[in-house]
Amino acid sequence: MPFTAHDLRYHAEQSYPSLYGYLHRNAQRYLGSLKYDAFEVDTVIGHVVEQLVRLGLLGGEDHTPLIALDHLTDAQFYTFLSHSVRNKAIDRLRKRRLLVNSSAEVAGGQDDDEGENNPLNDAVESLWGSMPFSTPEEIALQVASQRDLRNVLKHCIMALRAAPNQLQAVIQELQDVGADDLLKVIWEELNIPSPVKPNIHMSQHKDHAHKKLRSCLQQRSSNLTVVVALRLTLYTQYSKERNDYAVDIQTLAQSDLSIADVRKSLRELANEGMLEWRDTEDVCLSAVQMKRLSRFYKEE
Amino acid sequence: MNDDKNVGGMADKSDTYRKDVQYAKLAQWLEQVLQTPEQDEVPSSRLEDGETQLELVLKSDYHLSFYQQIPDFIMALLKNDPLATVHYSALLFHLVGCHACHDAYIDLYGAMRAAVSPQEIRPSLGQGTRSLSAIPHRMLGHLCRSLISQAEAVLLLSHRDHEDRDAVARSLLQLALHVSAPISQSSIRRQALQDLVRVATLFDNINVAEDGDPNVRKYTPVMASVSGTRRGKTVRRVTATPLSNNQEIAVIQLQSQSLEGSIVQNGQMLELHLHDLASSLRGHFVTISVLLGSLLEPVRWLGGNPGSIRSATPVNEQGTLVMPVGTTDLELSNPEERNLLEAMFMLLEVRALDDA
Repeated sequence: MPFTAHDLRYHAEQSYPSLYGYLHRNAQRYLGSLKYDAFEVDTVIGHVVEQLVRLGLLGGEDHTPLIALDHLTDAQFYTFLSHSVRNKAIDRLRKRRLLVNSSAEVAGGQDDDEGENNPLNDAVESLWGSMPFSTPEEIALQVASQRDLRNVLKHCIMALRAAPNQLQAVIQELQDVGADDLLKVIWEELNIPSPVKPNIHMSQHKDHAHKKLRSCLQQRSSNLTVVVALRLTLYTQYSKERNDYAVDIQTLAQSDLSIADVRKSLRELANEGMLEWRDTEDVCLSAVQMKRLSRFYKEE
Repeated sequence: MNDDKNVGGMADKSDTYRKDVQYAKLAQWLEQVLQTPEQDEVPSSRLEDGETQLELVLKSDYHLSFYQQIPDFIMALLKNDPLATVHYSALLFHLVGCHACHDAYIDLYGAMRAAVSPQEIRPSLGQGTRSLSAIPHRMLGHLCRSLISQAEAVLLLSHRDHEDRDAVARSLLQLALHVSAPISQSSIRRQALQDLVRVATLFDNINVAEDGDPNVRKYTPVMASVSGTRRGKTVRRVTATPLSNNQEIAVIQLQSQSLEGSIVQNGQMLELHLHDLASSLRGHFVTISVLLGSLLEPVRWLGGNPGSIRSATPVNEQGTLVMPVGTTDLELSNPEERNLLEAMFMLLEVRALDDA
């Protein structure tokens, strides 16, 4: 019986049997020699079902926001499910083969799973092909080398100003790793001309600083603040009469931010002393403020 | 050869190289910063490859808000959205340090890429109009636990962010209860619902008495299989009316350490029977709290509040109390409906009324 992502979201109890049936057929198909192992079949099905629950799709109704999977066509959604099953099945086969191989090595036997029907043969190449951000290292490098993301890092480092020892601990670490370009901007913003002196009692401050940085970097508001700051440097217009730069909030919002998000970010920037803004419809920046924003968020 | 150009070109290359090295070192430092201590933990399912029980992959303290962004992020990447990394920067920072979410990203990316690939042929759907009861009960139990665990994750996030997500969690628990109803094997049903009370008490309006509180007696159901048997014997209704030996009566058996009780049905009315109550309660009125009574709506509780149902009569001198608790269209004689009611009576508290 056909089912859709919509059915799973809004009629989970009724559509679960169909989902189970579909996943079961695919699990048996991809599990090869393990297809009659009920535990393995259930493990594969359970993995996909749990994933759908965790994503807020299965039984999510209107309580959880629609996600990209809700917008797939029915055929695409079935393919998604089928590949999810396939990936997990291959994972299970690999684990079992490792166990079998270990036993076979001890017994000096041969691996019987080298036949043409072994689903693992299809997965000899990288299972994922070329995939962006396939390792945490790759993501970290992307973050470090992309200006917009580095801006978020700068923003969060500067947020440590309230705790000078923690800020100093981070600056010391950045000196140690040789992040000179980043440090230059931070020193200019902090108005300190030279590297900080090493402090041998920084371990505890460092741990606290890392915790704060983790929290700040993973907050959506940090990114929004940086995006709005950058837009201020791009969209403000200079007025000779007033000798300042101005822009209205709608322009800052563009089509992808809400007015509320822009206001929240402007408040954050005002709190940081980057600008003066009193909940008005326009934002005005002095030449000095504009220079400071540009130096910090636009240039490096 | 133009030396100036070469010198300039070398300088450019040198600058690029210098920056690359800087970024690489900065990236290493970022990885260190973003690693959270709990990331060292491995989900239990990975540790126990030889297990027979299906374990959940994620614990309820997983990063729900990030996890649920992953499909949208992947779709933005698959559509080559140039702003994908900027819009999802918080998620990207999170993925650097969270192995569980990164594993999910990899898993979902492969499946979603295949889904949007134009070469894909529509997979065969096959036949099958199976009902919940036709699905292996182990899998119903697993779904149940996934839903309860998800409800816990939602409530924990809710408490952390000070946002009200009770409706989401309630809906998930209700679904879990309905999914558990067809499970006829008591051991699987018990396992499926093992976290239900703990999670339900995370709701702000559900308060459970402390263990060992001398003023409160807690009853839990003795989960029976649908045939009405428990511990190898057939459960029969406690009643003054003699019944045929062959007539099995649907009843929910309750216990509180050595004390026993039961829920029986008279028409639409559900009655609570308690025996051997403490001498301090005899001659006193009591209040009953059915902690999970507000989760489902099929019972119309006397007084309207399942958290506080007052007995109409005092506990008698033998320590027995018989009191109606509410009416329902569900029937204890129907196995699935009985299971649903039993889950609702997963924790029942009895306490003396102060003004008795």
